[in-house]
Amino acid sequence: MSTQNLYLDPQIRNWVLFPITLVMILVGLLRHYATLLLTSPPKKQPLNVIREQRGVLRAQILRQSSKQSPLPPSYYHTISSSLVEAFHNGDYLKDGPRDANAPPPPPANPLTDPAAMDGMMENMKKQMVMNIPQMIIMGWINFFFSGFLVIKLPFPLTNGFKEMLQRGIQTPNLDVRWVSSLSWYFLNLFGLNGLFRLILGNDNGADSTNDLASSPFANLGNQASAPLAPGQDMHKIFLQEKDSLELAETTYKWVGDSIEDRILAKWGKIQSPSRKEKVL
Amino acid sequence: MSTEESEALQLLYPPHIQHNTNSLHTVKFLSALFSGAAAGILGLENFSGFALFLASTLLTTSGIWLVKCKGRPQKYLHGGLGPLLNPGQDNLFSFVLVWTLFYALVHVYD
Repeated sequence: MSTQNLYLDPQIRNWVLFPITLVMILVGLLRHYATLLLTSPPKKQPLNVIREQRGVLRAQILRQSSKQSPLPPSYYHTISSSLVEAFHNGDYLKDGPRDANAPPPPPANPLTDPAAMDGMMENMKKQMVMNIPQMIIMGWINFFFSGFLVIKLPFPLTNGFKEMLQRGIQTPNLDVRWVSSLSWYFLNLFGLNGLFRLILGNDNGADSTNDLASSPFANLGNQASAPLAPGQDMHKIFLQEKDSLELAETTYKWVGDSIEDRILAKWGKIQSPSRKEKVL
Repeated sequence: MSTEESEALQLLYPPHIQHNTNSLHTVKFLSALFSGAAAGILGLENFSGFALFLASTLLTTSGIWLVKCKGRPQKYLHGGLGPLLNPGQDNLFSFVLVWTLFYALVHVYD
């Protein structure tokens, strides 16, 4: 196992390592702000569209908290029964209560539905902002910083990486640990994501993990089942939600039920009832 | 069993969970940075470097678990010990970056 010790000019450190890192940090910041400026704010939608989208959500929130509900019985039952009635009559549907005899509307095609197209355009714009700076920087690095070694990796890699990481250096026997500046670029690309998350917050536009994972067509499958497009399914969803709401009403229990007894028992004023209360 | 779980879930307040998760992220990133610097300066290679990363992750996790969560992480976070132990999504790469940088600064350049 050879431990090749090469001597590298300190000028390389000053004029290659630090500038590449600095440029990548600044370009990341630039990408983040460009993304912020480019994304248009969400379009205002009319009240009935929003009501349709959020109706199911309201019912779900009510249901999920029904076992230890923070709402006293009168509020809970009022909200629950009004939601059940609205779902049954189709009050929340975008186009008004459905006629019993009218044919159901066809499900909207994602390619022609304007709302879905806007979503895809937004994604594609974001992809462009992400990919172009990366290509430019790679070209810049290959042009200016090629043909010399920059750094030694403290961990070993297989020989397959040699071709990619030592591009421009024609020595077949050199240890894979000595690499060219392109690999410093890759190290920075993955390593700076954490730094961006620290400075810019969680959804920043400079994170490179998002470009690799998503694509313009990634959301195509989701949009067909999202509440946005199909009109007919909402009616079925509402009916299912109505049934679940009625079920949840049977398991409803107020948190403050018999709370006077519990507090008194906790302070030792009366004998605690035989059931054990879980105290966190 | 699932009813108890959902009851426990309800008692967690989402904005607080968000804040806790964010500060946990920050702590993990900073610990990855500093352990990377330590590994580089000490000149650790191969496995010893990654072992230091693992050791620092365990140390920060146990510190948070004992001191901050007082042994009850399910009060502060979704899912108990799992999110605490996970070293964070890009922190391994950040560790490698800083490790390589300091290793080169100290041992390769004069």
